[in-house]
Amino acid sequence: MNAPDRYERFVVPEGTKKVSYERDTKIINAASFTIEREDHTVGNILRMQLHRDPNVLFAGYKLPHPLQYKIIVRIHTASQSSPMQAYNQAINDLDKELDHLKTVFEEEVLKHSRDY
Amino acid sequence: MSSSDMSDLDAHLEEAKKRIMNMPEVPMGQLPPHLQRQRTRVFCGSDAPTNTESIQYSGAYASMGVDNSLRLDQFIKNFKVEVIQIKHDVKPNYEYFMEFDMIGIDAALANAFRRILISEVPTMAIEKVLIANNTSVVQDEVLAHRLGLIPISIDPRLFEYMSENDTPNEKNTIVFKLHVRCTHGRLTVRSDELMWLPNGSGFAMETDTYSDKKSNPKTYTSFSCSQDSLPEFCDNPISLTHSDIIIAKLAAKQEIELEAHAVKGIGKTHAKWSPVATAWYRMLPEVELLQEIEDQLAEELVKKCPVKVFDIEDIANGKKRATVARPRACTLCRECIRGEDWENRVALRRVKDHFIFTIESTGALPPDVLFTEAVKILEDKCERILSELS
Ligand code: SF4
Repeated sequence: MNAPDRYERFVVPEGTKKVSYERDTKIINAASFTIEREDHTVGNILRMQLHRDPNVLFAGYKLPHPLQYKIIVRIHTASQSSPMQAYNQAINDLDKELDHLKTVFEEEVLKHSRDY
Repeated sequence: MSSSDMSDLDAHLEEAKKRIMNMPEVPMGQLPPHLQRQRTRVFCGSDAPTNTESIQYSGAYASMGVDNSLRLDQFIKNFKVEVIQIKHDVKPNYEYFMEFDMIGIDAALANAFRRILISEVPTMAIEKVLIANNTSVVQDEVLAHRLGLIPISIDPRLFEYMSENDTPNEKNTIVFKLHVRCTHGRLTVRSDELMWLPNGSGFAMETDTYSDKKSNPKTYTSFSCSQDSLPEFCDNPISLTHSDIIIAKLAAKQEIELEAHAVKGIGKTHAKWSPVATAWYRMLPEVELLQEIEDQLAEELVKKCPVKVFDIEDIANGKKRATVARPRACTLCRECIRGEDWENRVALRRVKDHFIFTIESTGALPPDVLFTEAVKILEDKCERILSELS
């Protein structure tokens, strides 16, 4: 049978980097990040977070093909920032937001179970 | 057109221009109410919803002096969770769900949680079925598939993933045995016939040498100790969430003998590993009456709504008035804005950053734990795509 292995959707193949960075040669402060074995789950929230950054002029992601398990995130920033910096900040902020979200959620669940 | 008309028009345009540029009623740094509403609400018209996009771009309102960027501290200030209900009744009605509100997040995040809950939170499910005998009418592969879908109530965090070259051991495999035989009449095989084998497989592997036949025969698993001697399982034996799932029906003299091996996996690989029956969210509905609706019309409105969103209250001198009593129940069926003029009386909207999230667990983990697991998974993803960049 020629079906691809099921784990191929989430195991990064050996010799490939999880994230790679490629600068745009024509426009300054523009770059694309290729993230292996990720999909809309990460792509969409990353785009959302990047859009909120005032230094980001353009941010978008694409899933090139449903059978290629990777996404490409393209970022173009103003001159005060750089794609790398915007990317780092977006993910750091997301991480902290999620952390906060988790604590708030856990507190509420505790409160709820105490009340009932 | 006469010249006096022209100058009238000019004057009028001038006037209009001034009004647009000044907007004295709108203080600087604040959006005019209609724009604010477009930003925060989805409008539901009788034909289609409008303003469905979430405006994320930081400079979207730069020309009005409004900063649309969102910083961490702002997020933390605005974010809220409210738990509406949690149900953990396993028996007899198997209600295993929770409903909670998340206020102050974007649809992208809510959707990421939904996707992760469905396809990336691990559980244990039957993956390999060794069939020794099956004379029932259910074919082997159909039977194996049915077994795979049975939810097992065991915390998957106690187990490890089994990769391709691993041998099944007590840390990555759960073994169940099913042996039923119908002696007369009909027999319904239910999931409570599946017996947990804490010592691993009982089937001996075929070997071509006869030498070690006397000593312990090699089985399909290599457990180094019994699972029920492990501290995590000794006082809560592994069982199935439901004991009454029909696996097969047997006629007289039919028999099934098999062994089922459950391993850890995620819903992306196969839906049987999905920990949720389903996880979904909806935005908070907002119903507003644009004008007073009285007497006859009020009664008509109350009758229109199938989920009883509206109520009637009595006002002075024997009149009645419609009120919005339970907007949360609204399903946005748009029945109340159907027909002549109703769209001018009732406005239906959804709040863009208020999500009513519902998680129905299959029973492996309680729904609230599932959600925190999902958040952890998303955090790990973030850390991973950051740390592996260098
Ligand atoms: S949209 Fe449907 S459910 Fe909502 S208020 Fe109108 S009639 Fe009721």
